[in-house]
Amino acid sequence: MFDLIIIGGGPAGYLAAERAGHAGLKTLLIEKRFIGGVCLNEGCVPSKTLLHSAKILDYAKHGNDYGVTTSGAAIDQKAVITRKNKIVRNLVAGIKGQLKASHVTVKEGFAEILGRANGQNRGMIQVKVGEEVFESAKLLIASGSEAIVPPIPGAREGLEQGYVLTNREILNLEVIPKTLVVVGGGVIGLEMASYFNSVGSKVTVVELLDKIAGPTDREISAILQKNYAQKGVTFRLSCRVTGLPQGGVEFEENGTLQRIDAERVLLSIGRRPVTTGFGLERLGVLIDKGRIVVDEKGQTSVPGVYAAGDVNGVWMLAHAAYRESEVVINNLLGKQDLVRYQAMPSVIYTNPEVGCVGETEESCTAQGIAFKVASLSMNYSGRYMAENAGGDGICKVLIDPQRQRLIGCHMIGNYASEVITTAAMLIETEMKIDDIKEFIFPHPSVSEIIREAIFKL
Amino acid sequence: MATSVIMPRQGQSVESCIIGHWHKKVGDAVAVGDDLFTYETDKAAFDEVAKVGGELLAVFFAEGDDVPCLTNVCVIGNKGEDISAWLPAGSEAAATAPGTAAQASAASRTETLPLVSADAPTQGIEVADLAISPRARHLAEKHHADLRAVVPTGPKGRVIERDVQTLIDAGRFATGAAGSNYLAETIGTGIGGRISVADIERSATMPTPVAATTQPEVYEEKHSNIRKLIAKSMSHSLSTMAQLTYNASFDATDMLAFRARLKQAKESGLAGQLGITLAEANITLNDIILYTVSRVVQHHRLCNAAFYDDKMVFFKHVNLGMAVDTPRGLMVPTLFNADQLSLADISAQAKALSAACQKGTISPDTLKDGTITVTNLGGLGIESFTPVINPPQTTILGVNCLQTAVRDVGGVAVPYPSMNLSLTCDHRAVDGAPAARFLKDLRAALENFSLLLMK
Repeated sequence: MFDLIIIGGGPAGYLAAERAGHAGLKTLLIEKRFIGGVCLNEGCVPSKTLLHSAKILDYAKHGNDYGVTTSGAAIDQKAVITRKNKIVRNLVAGIKGQLKASHVTVKEGFAEILGRANGQNRGMIQVKVGEEVFESAKLLIASGSEAIVPPIPGAREGLEQGYVLTNREILNLEVIPKTLVVVGGGVIGLEMASYFNSVGSKVTVVELLDKIAGPTDREISAILQKNYAQKGVTFRLSCRVTGLPQGGVEFEENGTLQRIDAERVLLSIGRRPVTTGFGLERLGVLIDKGRIVVDEKGQTSVPGVYAAGDVNGVWMLAHAAYRESEVVINNLLGKQDLVRYQAMPSVIYTNPEVGCVGETEESCTAQGIAFKVASLSMNYSGRYMAENAGGDGICKVLIDPQRQRLIGCHMIGNYASEVITTAAMLIETEMKIDDIKEFIFPHPSVSEIIREAIFKL
Repeated sequence: MATSVIMPRQGQSVESCIIGHWHKKVGDAVAVGDDLFTYETDKAAFDEVAKVGGELLAVFFAEGDDVPCLTNVCVIGNKGEDISAWLPAGSEAAATAPGTAAQASAASRTETLPLVSADAPTQGIEVADLAISPRARHLAEKHHADLRAVVPTGPKGRVIERDVQTLIDAGRFATGAAGSNYLAETIGTGIGGRISVADIERSATMPTPVAATTQPEVYEEKHSNIRKLIAKSMSHSLSTMAQLTYNASFDATDMLAFRARLKQAKESGLAGQLGITLAEANITLNDIILYTVSRVVQHHRLCNAAFYDDKMVFFKHVNLGMAVDTPRGLMVPTLFNADQLSLADISAQAKALSAACQKGTISPDTLKDGTITVTNLGGLGIESFTPVINPPQTTILGVNCLQTAVRDVGGVAVPYPSMNLSLTCDHRAVDGAPAARFLKDLRAALENFSLLLMK
């Protein structure tokens, strides 16, 4: 008998388990594949190791811009993958250590929800792993998400035969394809396009929308696209993929059918919450549009059953999952807490990086939110200029003119992934603009751009 | 050369005044004639006007501070001048730090004072005039503590630092952008449980009666000193006296005819020919009534008296109180020795006193020592009311509006202008018959006003 059973060992699951175990709850964590989940094993973290290798290669190749000449800089893809695997192993081991330290019971295997117990433990939720059945009054579903495989002719076959890849497979490619077509120009697609472009593939991004990078600020998306076009990536926007025959991608562009050759195809059109196949229906949890419906405390429609992370379909980001699972555990422990999404940062780890938080001009206009915006070249930051030859990044800040608070910040330029946290904190704390002006930023630093932009308002 | 501004002494009985509002803050340019600050005695509010120009270099007292008369309140001079010589002994600035530090602390106090209400220009509850120590205010601002919920435990109901800390520990605080302007029942869902902008917007759209409109249906205002005094005096009056009101009307024909004649004489230049000086403004009906009361009450000593538990005090002369409606509240300046003044003098003095009350420049010494009071609501169309006596006086005369009445003259209904008088007397001092006799004499005098002037 457990106090809490958690299904899924990704960011939502393992963090919840750590917190719950640490607080003294008897906790069981069940993971069917790898502790650490997609983020740690086949997503966020491994892609960052690859992208860093590509960045070093880019610096080496373009050292001339900085007065450094090199020759013979080349990628050793096998070594890159080996390094990645080592880092992932280390991190996974670290998490397992943390879980152990928090007295969490971990079961690696497929979890199946059997429903409610009868008899002595009437009403307890029963979960089966292998031949064992576990019981608990509380259940946290952190089953995550999986790459969407569209019903396009050739998609299934391609995945089976290995020429169509998802995030899972592409991070283990030991041979760099000569041509790579990325279907879907969102965060995952762009990061992989960035990597394989740097390491020598001829990359084409095919996107259904008229812009890349999903809901990212339109101007910043355009700058990112321009940067990658200059680096040699081809973009085919407003195109619908119609078929994935071996060795190519067929798509419709302006009403005509096109085909481009592709040694490999990355499917990155989006991810879908995993809500089926493990007995969730036996608890009667409300699911809408494929997502588990939760309130701001992570409570599902069934008392005692919670959900956090990608499975709720809200943000599908690891850091959102962390916070959501923390809120679930806090409430379980009797501490009032709820998730706010107004200051959820999002980052694209391309080169240049994109960091965003809060409202965009487009989202404000769509919702009728009054705003004032200041947009500033990243070259206002001395450090940016020193380190980014020919950089054309920008930083935008949006404020609520009535309340005099920051409501959005969007930037493209390296270190944006780190700098954006500053803006997120300012938004979350709803600090007044006049108060923000009193902050001291280290000089020279890229983060100073936020201060500069605020003073431009 | 820097010059200090002292707290003026408004009348011999005034020991200290409370600073109401600072019009200027440290660093502001000051020109001769600019309003510096308002201050209140327990009877009236005044504006202190700059007598020298320059920069406001230092401010030693904050709004709400009770400052002894003749104490240095602030210093005006040239930028950078040393103000240490002017530090008053009683100010907190002097007690905590000398020199420029005092200047800085005084500056921050005055500059931060309006913060709480500045967030709430159109709605919410004013906490700006809460009695609060600078340390407590600083802490409250730092944590955006909701001072409306504070429980003062300091001396004289003052909010001190520990009260604010208690408030913070209790979790009533909001984000900077949310400010302090939220409904008391708003639940905080922002960071650390703070009240966020979203919470405010949510509570503003909640279909509760209070939140249904953007304008709250109630708002609070702390009592001014004048209001406190009026409240105390009026409730004391009604709870301790046996007062009752007698109503009677009189024929105003003669009074109106007299006023018309005066007006005509002035306009035709007749008055000038006869060497009669008439006040610039016209004699009003109220002037005529004041004059009449000052003469008639001399023969009714009970009505020109003060009643104490063990004795009555009778006055040889008539110090006539006249009720004046001002933006600050009711004020009752005194026409001293009104029985000695001519109608023209009464008219001129009454106008001057009324104007001084309106402007707030009336001397507190003029607001006391009345022996009987006249209050006139006739201009507002009142036909009858029960005036409340200003203790320890025994009598107050209420004057009502002019109406047209009719009387039977040989079987014919003849209209005539009529005015009602509402006389309240303290029955402990004045029995019904003497009160009625006073009223009867008043009516007779007013109906034959031309004759009264013969006296």
